Amino acid sequence: MSDSTPIQRLADQAAAKTPPRVVKRIRGLSDRAIAWAFITPTILLLLAINIFPLIWTIQLSFTNYRANRPNAEVENVGIQNYERILTDSDIWFAMQATAHFVFWTIALQTLIGFSLAYLIDRKFRGHAFWTTIILIPMMLSPAVVGNFWRFLYQPQIGLFNYIVSFFTGLPPSSFEMLGTVNLAPWSIIIVDTWMWTPYVMLICLAGLRSIPDYIYEAAEVDRASKWRQFWTITIPMAAPFIMLAVLFRGIENFKMFDMVNLLTGGGPGSTTEVASITLKREAFEKWRTGYSSAFAIILFVAVFGLANIYVKALNKVKNR
Amino acid sequence: MMDAHEPPALPPQKRFTPRSIAEGLATLLIAAGFIMLMQPFAMVLYTYSFVVLLAGTVLFIVGSKFPG
Amino acid sequence: MSGKSSAHSVVEPTPVTKRIAGAVVIIYALISMIPLFWIFITGFKSPPDSISYPPKIVFEPTLEGYCNLFTTRTRQTPDYIQSLPPATETCDEITRSRNMVIAGASNYLPRFINSVVIAFGSTFLAVALGTLTAYGFSRFRVPLADDLLFFILSTRMMPPIAVAIPIYLMYRELGLSDTALGMILLYTAINVSLAVWLLKGFIDEIPREYEEAAMIDGYTRLQAFVKVVLPQAATGIAATAIFCLIFAWNEYAFAVLLTSGSAQTAPPFIPTIIGEGGMDWPAVAAGTTIFLIPILVFTVLLRKHLLRGITFGAVRK
Repeated sequence: MSDSTPIQRLADQAAAKTPPRVVKRIRGLSDRAIAWAFITPTILLLLAINIFPLIWTIQLSFTNYRANRPNAEVENVGIQNYERILTDSDIWFAMQATAHFVFWTIALQTLIGFSLAYLIDRKFRGHAFWTTIILIPMMLSPAVVGNFWRFLYQPQIGLFNYIVSFFTGLPPSSFEMLGTVNLAPWSIIIVDTWMWTPYVMLICLAGLRSIPDYIYEAAEVDRASKWRQFWTITIPMAAPFIMLAVLFRGIENFKMFDMVNLLTGGGPGSTTEVASITLKREAFEKWRTGYSSAFAIILFVAVFGLANIYVKALNKVKNR
Repeated sequence: MMDAHEPPALPPQKRFTPRSIAEGLATLLIAAGFIMLMQPFAMVLYTYSFVVLLAGTVLFIVGSKFPG
Repeated sequence: MSGKSSAHSVVEPTPVTKRIAGAVVIIYALISMIPLFWIFITGFKSPPDSISYPPKIVFEPTLEGYCNLFTTRTRQTPDYIQSLPPATETCDEITRSRNMVIAGASNYLPRFINSVVIAFGSTFLAVALGTLTAYGFSRFRVPLADDLLFFILSTRMMPPIAVAIPIYLMYRELGLSDTALGMILLYTAINVSLAVWLLKGFIDEIPREYEEAAMIDGYTRLQAFVKVVLPQAATGIAATAIFCLIFAWNEYAFAVLLTSGSAQTAPPFIPTIIGEGGMDWPAVAAGTTIFLIPILVFTVLLRKHLLRGITFGAVRK
């Protein structure tokens, strides 16, 4: 079975083709040399595809460069781009739209996800099968699924409107999830919650399962009520895991692009124009490359800060 | 699950080290920066959110090198 | 699994609790499957059925959606269609019943093939690089290892649109815009971070003694890596590969900004499928169904390793 791994085959081929003298030299490689030989290619790739572009973005963010006019003269404008973004009420509004989206998706996903995990942890018959079923939405392509939700949200013919009208009695053509200022932000929250609740559920489930039985047994001996056990054992012990899920969903939804772009495209007006959509409009529709680079750096610093906290949370969970 | 009854042995840890203080402060700054960036109340807070975020992130990176 | 908690354990939930919990979870699972069920059945509806009110659950299944997905059609006069030789294939017949004839193949198949090529290419590279790097970090003392690992992970966290701006400029200079190679390199760079973190977890679990024993038997370090570590890590490598594959398969933001024609993948293409006078929802549903089926298979294969994958290898159970 080992012979079938592509890497091994590649290594065998390489070994067969390498002249004996070189083989001898490779054999003699010190551990130190091997370590660097193994790590360097990855670092180089990341430098080329991630770090070099990042440095370029920082440099562009101090200019008025426009990508659709490559021959126009580029001026250095100092921190003017940053000043303009950080005093622009439209961008501020986009950040608020992002906040609304991030806050409600995390709140709903944590609530539903944790409840589901708690119920699955009761280990009823067939729980493994149903867990797998529940996990399916989070594996799918947000873009392709978001596109299809547009169909479900159609005012007259859409299934979502039909189901809502079935239960509430409202005429199914009386409301338009994607086209109304009040409803559009909720339409993207619903799809995101549908998609990513399983993610929170899975991590919470791991948290619940990491709590050893003997703690509950001890609490039972002390005659602590189930309610008290839940708040003094379950929640605190699962908290690092919940934190992990919240942080990761926070990062992901802060930079959410694909699903929103296909569902509402930022509309109606700019009610669902979350940060990434604004960035795309500035960079790839208005072609204000320098300006949008500055905005990209602001978003990047925010995400990078959260990523630091996330990795700290990861390490906390790892030691469990 | 044989060892489920053995409570995990925690390594002895000092609560406050230069590193834990720096990281805690950095986490606070980053959290504050986020709230400032996304709150709907005052433009001034939004304007200075980036500086706070940047300070928090830099402190986090530098602070993780502190002893602790 | 339950170990000490026997039937009389205080920790074991009562049968009633179990039954209620099971019922609620199953109801949630069924509700969350409705959209997918709807995508699946819409693919077999005729266009009028797909937009009927109230929405139809019982309908006459047709392959029209799949025919429309793979073909382009032109409208013709009934007289012209009458003059044609009798239709031989199902799709010909369906198309003619709508007063149209098939004009050629649509772009769906090439886009789907692009998705396959780019996903597999980038996965292969990311896993190959990731295995080496993970082994390096797992077995050797690397200076600044934690910082390098954090740097590797943080590259995956970057907002895609923010990265896309300089990549767009860079690829324009290098002639990599709208090429499969460009997309493969980009996805490799993004996936390699996940691959390193996941595989480091898997390789950490292989006892060092195995390699040391092999090296005492006269293997070099490299031979020990190829003959001992790789086979031991095979499951982990496979799981990692599936994760990378799913990411590359699903990716949309870079694909829509950096490709437009010859290297376009399926996710940016599917939303552009339109019929005469509005969206051709059965064709969209058909395209979506075909696109999602591989993911369903992968999810089932991966279910034991999902938790590891979504926490970058930190949570192992």
